[in-house]
Amino acid sequence: MLFHTWTFFIFFIATIAGFWVLRPTRFWLHWILLASAVFYGWWHPYYLLLVFYSTALDYFIVGWMERGPHLAKPGWRFAASVALLVVVIVVGLTAPAGWGGLAAAIGFFAAVLAVGHWLRSRRNWLLVSIINNLSVLVFFKYAGFVIENLNTLLARLGAGQLPSAESLMPPGWEYVLPVGISFYTFQSMSYTIDFYRGIISREPSFVRFAAFVTFFPQLVAGPIERAKNLLPQFSKIPHVKLVDVTDGVSLFLVGLFKKVALANYLGLYVDRIYGDVGLQSGAALALATFAFGWQIYFDFSGYTDMARGVARCMGFRLMLNFRNPYLAVSLADFWSRWHISLSTWFRDYVYIPLGGNRVDGLNLQRNLLITFVISGLWHGAAWTFLIWGALHGLGLIANRGLEQASWWRDRFPPLAKRLVVFVFVCFAWVFFRAESLSQATTILQRIFVTGWADPQMPLLLLLLVVSVWVYQFVYESALRSWLEKPPVKVALALAMILWMLLFAPGGTEPFIYFQF
Amino acid sequence: MTHETSQPPASDPTAVRLSARQWLCTLGLSLGFAWLLPVAWTGFESFKPVPHYRVPYELSNDYWLYERWLGQLPPDAIPVVGDSVVWGEYTAHDGTLSRFLGDATGTPFANAGINGLYPLALWGLIEHHGGVLHNRRVLLHCNLLWMSDPEADMQLDKEQTLNHPGLVPQFMPSISCYRADIDLRLGRALERRLEPFSWVRHLQQAYFGQESLPEWTLADNGNHPPSYPNTYRLLPGVKGVKLSAEAVSPDRGLASERHEPWLANQSSKVNMEWVTPESSRQWRAFCRLAKRLQGRGNELLVVVGPLNEHMMNDATREKHRSFRSTAVAWLEGEGIRFVVPELLPSEEFADASHPLTEGYERLAKRLAQESVFRAWLGQ
Repeated sequence: MLFHTWTFFIFFIATIAGFWVLRPTRFWLHWILLASAVFYGWWHPYYLLLVFYSTALDYFIVGWMERGPHLAKPGWRFAASVALLVVVIVVGLTAPAGWGGLAAAIGFFAAVLAVGHWLRSRRNWLLVSIINNLSVLVFFKYAGFVIENLNTLLARLGAGQLPSAESLMPPGWEYVLPVGISFYTFQSMSYTIDFYRGIISREPSFVRFAAFVTFFPQLVAGPIERAKNLLPQFSKIPHVKLVDVTDGVSLFLVGLFKKVALANYLGLYVDRIYGDVGLQSGAALALATFAFGWQIYFDFSGYTDMARGVARCMGFRLMLNFRNPYLAVSLADFWSRWHISLSTWFRDYVYIPLGGNRVDGLNLQRNLLITFVISGLWHGAAWTFLIWGALHGLGLIANRGLEQASWWRDRFPPLAKRLVVFVFVCFAWVFFRAESLSQATTILQRIFVTGWADPQMPLLLLLLVVSVWVYQFVYESALRSWLEKPPVKVALALAMILWMLLFAPGGTEPFIYFQF
Repeated sequence: MTHETSQPPASDPTAVRLSARQWLCTLGLSLGFAWLLPVAWTGFESFKPVPHYRVPYELSNDYWLYERWLGQLPPDAIPVVGDSVVWGEYTAHDGTLSRFLGDATGTPFANAGINGLYPLALWGLIEHHGGVLHNRRVLLHCNLLWMSDPEADMQLDKEQTLNHPGLVPQFMPSISCYRADIDLRLGRALERRLEPFSWVRHLQQAYFGQESLPEWTLADNGNHPPSYPNTYRLLPGVKGVKLSAEAVSPDRGLASERHEPWLANQSSKVNMEWVTPESSRQWRAFCRLAKRLQGRGNELLVVVGPLNEHMMNDATREKHRSFRSTAVAWLEGEGIRFVVPELLPSEEFADASHPLTEGYERLAKRLAQESVFRAWLGQ
């Protein structure tokens, strides 16, 4: 279910109505959980199994983490895990062809649980959680990529081929990437890690924890919430004030405009140019790359705005995820403004555990590079994403070096710095958007090699994007108060509504970040 | 991603956060604009239909224009409602039934047909965009060809690409060959109920090549390699389709290659399965439509056919007549005046249901002589 559809509109009205009716009772949280299940199951009911698995696993593991060290003996849970493992092995050996993959998955799960119950330390339970969560993620997101590359390698060595990921699914089951799996897996994992670190306490209610993991506004494309922010909001009946509703609707309007009027429009131009890169001029490819930079920004931040708006209407506050990233004066600044919930996740759970900024030069650069390469892979299972991440890591290292030089730090104009950052980020987007490594290299080659030809970007589109950029500049300048005057705000909202009514393209294009 | 920059402020990076009062103001203005713009547009956009006007083929999906056309009919003009048989599939705009009825009776008739319609869609057109048809004489054409086989009657489960999908019932009654996701159905249901949406559709149909403005700015000219003529055009540079008169088409009219008797293209007779009136979706839709028009206080006259029986084999002709008898019985039962015209000569049909120009002229003359017709006209 997409936010910018009539289906969601009806769903949301029904959800809000039920929420208001049930708010005085203890069932309001059950209602949110049910609404989230309907929202997510709308894509494919089978997705619900996976999100339930992740949720239940982390819920129980944190419980065992809390109690485990105090138990003298492994106990019945260990026995049950071993028994499950034995049953799965027997069933797996006798099962008809095609069911071996599922049996292996359950067997792996049982084995990991058995080890956890045997060792019973907090650290081991944390590992069990991480291994389980990442296994699901790796299988559904990366198995095809890993197997394809291994098979290429094996073929060169003259060895046999590995079976495809699809062949590991039980008969009749489709091998599809569940929408938003990277988002909710990370959110659920952060709960376990934060509990392990003592940042949060265990959530005793399964319903509350499940509502935290599956909360429908942010389930499929974030913001990736932290338990310490969202879980306490589910502990008491939200007090919804009028300002929550007006702010929520305002956020939704801005997000809807970004998606429907801007991202979808830019997408039409980008698809035209990137759909046939061999025929395009360098100017068209360069312009389409800039256009993609804006498209993905409007698409993703539009989704986030709508998600935050929907949550806000029900009295919940989700974290800020974007903050005018194309006004960043450095790459570090860019990452403090772009997909903030993911960048802080990687900062807290990868970069800092690796040593973060506390280590010396080379190690720090290694930490940056590792963090960004993993971040690149989080976005997708392809070499292009890995290179995209590595480029940002290297760019950040170079940027840090530049910041040491006084001519850059003190004398280089901020506007020029912004342009440099924007151009670099767009250059990296080539790898993000390209369908393959060879297409990315073709694009870059043609940008620099081919002569001038009219890129034929619609003037209207250009004016729209420039208007938004100027708006952002003004918003971050001393003239901001002018934008906050009531007549200006009303005029802007009115302009957005009328533009969408009159000119928005039809159709319901999905969000780019759903694929991650 | 590193923790070396200052923490972002908690506020959102946009000033568009409206208070309740500002929202009320915005919504009021939005609604005002949405409802006033179409009204104001009629003053801005010139629409002076030529004699024997019909909605141009390119604007067949422009129901807002259709409504406007009906709305400015003179009170004494009689709209002729129907599908492409009324519209004139093979003829020029001045070679249609309404034109010849006018000539034969001295009473002005107006072509209120649209190309590509069928009873299910025709019902939607009149229900949602034909509200101005009340308390006046209306001539409704009944094209029984839509009941001549299960596919035309939309009884098959196989998905069909429909003309005028926005006019068919979106939810109830369910049409199994109409596959559209729920969002599209909801959108279409809203569009036909809310005038601002159908006005936006008019803008798209008339000015932006049947696309949205963004899509129009990116549209190519169909050549290879393509070029994009609208890239640097802004709104003042937009040229639209002529609303008040249709462009001369090589596909229609006396000079057209298509304007020739059906026998020129087909030698053998055809077999048609026909559905039963009880099971027919299109017939039920037609009945609903006739009763709706009658219920609005119109003096309704239904012209049943004629279909081209010359191209039917004996069994098909029998089934056709049987269905026609049922239709006539129903019209009698409902107290609706009707005429079943005599079969036209073979050479005056272009296909199974569309007459050629001469056919329309003959049909009009015959209708004008019918006593029921004359009584209905008050002559």
